[in-house]
Amino acid sequence: MEAIASSLASGFLLGGIFALTALGLSLVLGVLRLVNLAHGDLLVIGAYAGYFLLTVTGIDPLLGLPLIALALALLAAPLYHFLIRPLMGRGVEAPMMTMFGVSIVLQNLFVVGFSANTRSIETGYSTSSLTVGPATVGWIYVIGFAISVATVVAAHLVVTRTSFGRDLRACAHDSVAAAVIGVNVGRVRMLTFAAGAACTAAGGTLMGLAFSFTPSSGAGFLLNSFAVVVLGGLGSILGTLVAGITIGVLQSLGGVLLGDGYRDLVALVVFLAALIIRPQGLMSMRR
Amino acid sequence: MAATFTEHGRATTRRGLLLTAGGLVVALAACAAAPLYFGDYETQILFRFLVGLVLAEAWNLMAGYTGLVSLGTSSAVGLGGYVLIGLLNHSALPLGLVLVVAAVAGAVLAATAAPGLMRLRGLYFTVGTLALAEALRLVMINAERFGGASGLFLDREPPVQSELLWIATGLLAATWLVLLLADGSRLSVLLRAVRDDEDVAAQLGVRSYRVKLAVFAAASALMAAAGGVQALKLGAIEPYGMFGLRWSIDALSMVIIGGLGQRAGPVVGAAVVVISAELLADYPEAHLALTGVLLIVMMRFAPRGLVGLGADIWARRRLMRGVAS
Repeated sequence: MEAIASSLASGFLLGGIFALTALGLSLVLGVLRLVNLAHGDLLVIGAYAGYFLLTVTGIDPLLGLPLIALALALLAAPLYHFLIRPLMGRGVEAPMMTMFGVSIVLQNLFVVGFSANTRSIETGYSTSSLTVGPATVGWIYVIGFAISVATVVAAHLVVTRTSFGRDLRACAHDSVAAAVIGVNVGRVRMLTFAAGAACTAAGGTLMGLAFSFTPSSGAGFLLNSFAVVVLGGLGSILGTLVAGITIGVLQSLGGVLLGDGYRDLVALVVFLAALIIRPQGLMSMRR
Repeated sequence: MAATFTEHGRATTRRGLLLTAGGLVVALAACAAAPLYFGDYETQILFRFLVGLVLAEAWNLMAGYTGLVSLGTSSAVGLGGYVLIGLLNHSALPLGLVLVVAAVAGAVLAATAAPGLMRLRGLYFTVGTLALAEALRLVMINAERFGGASGLFLDREPPVQSELLWIATGLLAATWLVLLLADGSRLSVLLRAVRDDEDVAAQLGVRSYRVKLAVFAAASALMAAAGGVQALKLGAIEPYGMFGLRWSIDALSMVIIGGLGQRAGPVVGAAVVVISAELLADYPEAHLALTGVLLIVMMRFAPRGLVGLGADIWARRRLMRGVAS
């Protein structure tokens, strides 16, 4: 009983982190119509950044989170400018395949640079746990959940309440019409891509704290994030949060009922089922 | 939407088709006779090229001719490999029939997955195929009945090198036959109509879902048969390798480098990828990273691949000569 309660509580909290890991993918898909196939590898970069920040400089990855996010945003801006922007008028496949190329390059650079070893970030809070009633959960899940939910809600407020958010929604809805009424579409796209990468890096660091990772973890991370995006509904940030938590809980249930080997399979099955049954997502009003 | 992504050649004339078919038969005969003039090492590389080429041709049929960009090549390859080893170990069926069954299994997999994957266009198909491949890999890792993470062994000696090469050549012949049928018949027009503008095609009475399903099933059948041939060579298979992303990367990069939607694209691309892999055999990561860089460069500067690039240079030189004379 206690094991089940703990597992479900962990899944719930982990789901919050999933929402943050999927946020960047969702924003970029919504605004740029770009399936960022390198998204999983950006998450892995975040995990490595947290790992090396701790082992090399001794700075706690959670304190360094803004730094990691900023660094990835600065890295992503030229990536957009030189690789994605020239392809924007050439359909959805060309930029998607370019990001697949980036994914292959990154994965192999990780192996060459950091070896194929499995890594995990060891901190005080990644091993200690918190007990509430029947449930015992790792502190990292609690902290990660709080950071993730705060970031996702902040992103929601930026998109719905600010003038940049208005421009962003205009680009997502119809980029040509947005350009006609004077929105600087190129700038919005670049900022969205950079901000998305920043959120992704932060989510990646949290994933690195919660799980061990390897240079090839990216594909699994990407699919997990994609499952969240599809279930939550394209363009719905709060939907992403609900979907992330749903998938976190379902994964825990799958782990309890079928065995730990099937945990990762749950997200994939949810994803494929969502495509068949409700492709517009849980929260989305329009198709 | 996809029209800007690729330009596929004009409809084929009957004479052109006969010439192409003749050339392909000569090429196949040269491959089949290779053990006569090649050593073991070269034969092995030729085998790798043939299997890669079958995957690339099938991938090109989907992406280049119909606009279905798949990252799930490995799901069909892996399934074909497991079906082949399973049937050879537990039945008395002859090898040829076993390969046919593996191909049918690939087609059935595609037909089963299609309603979900093709529900939404483009974007979701690509990621959906990737999810399918990963899901199958996870299932096989956990399925003790099918050997779990350690996989299956063929309980007899695999065929000798030259026999393997003949089998691979036969598979390539079947692949080219499928492509000639798709290219020389009414189907080729349907394919391009669906790729270039699905809505208009549908209004003109093309049943776009059926066309896409047929292509997806045919390509998956070829890929599954290729997986079967690969498993036959290996003699031992495990889920990480047979369902690995590597197959998807190979097929995709061969076609993009050679020329998406170009008839000669897969041949050129497969040669480039197999030879560069061999040259960098001691540095597999460097080879993959290089493949990734090539993908990025081709998408940006040569969306019709090396074949398109060559055609452009050829046309320009003829034009210059015409001006000079």
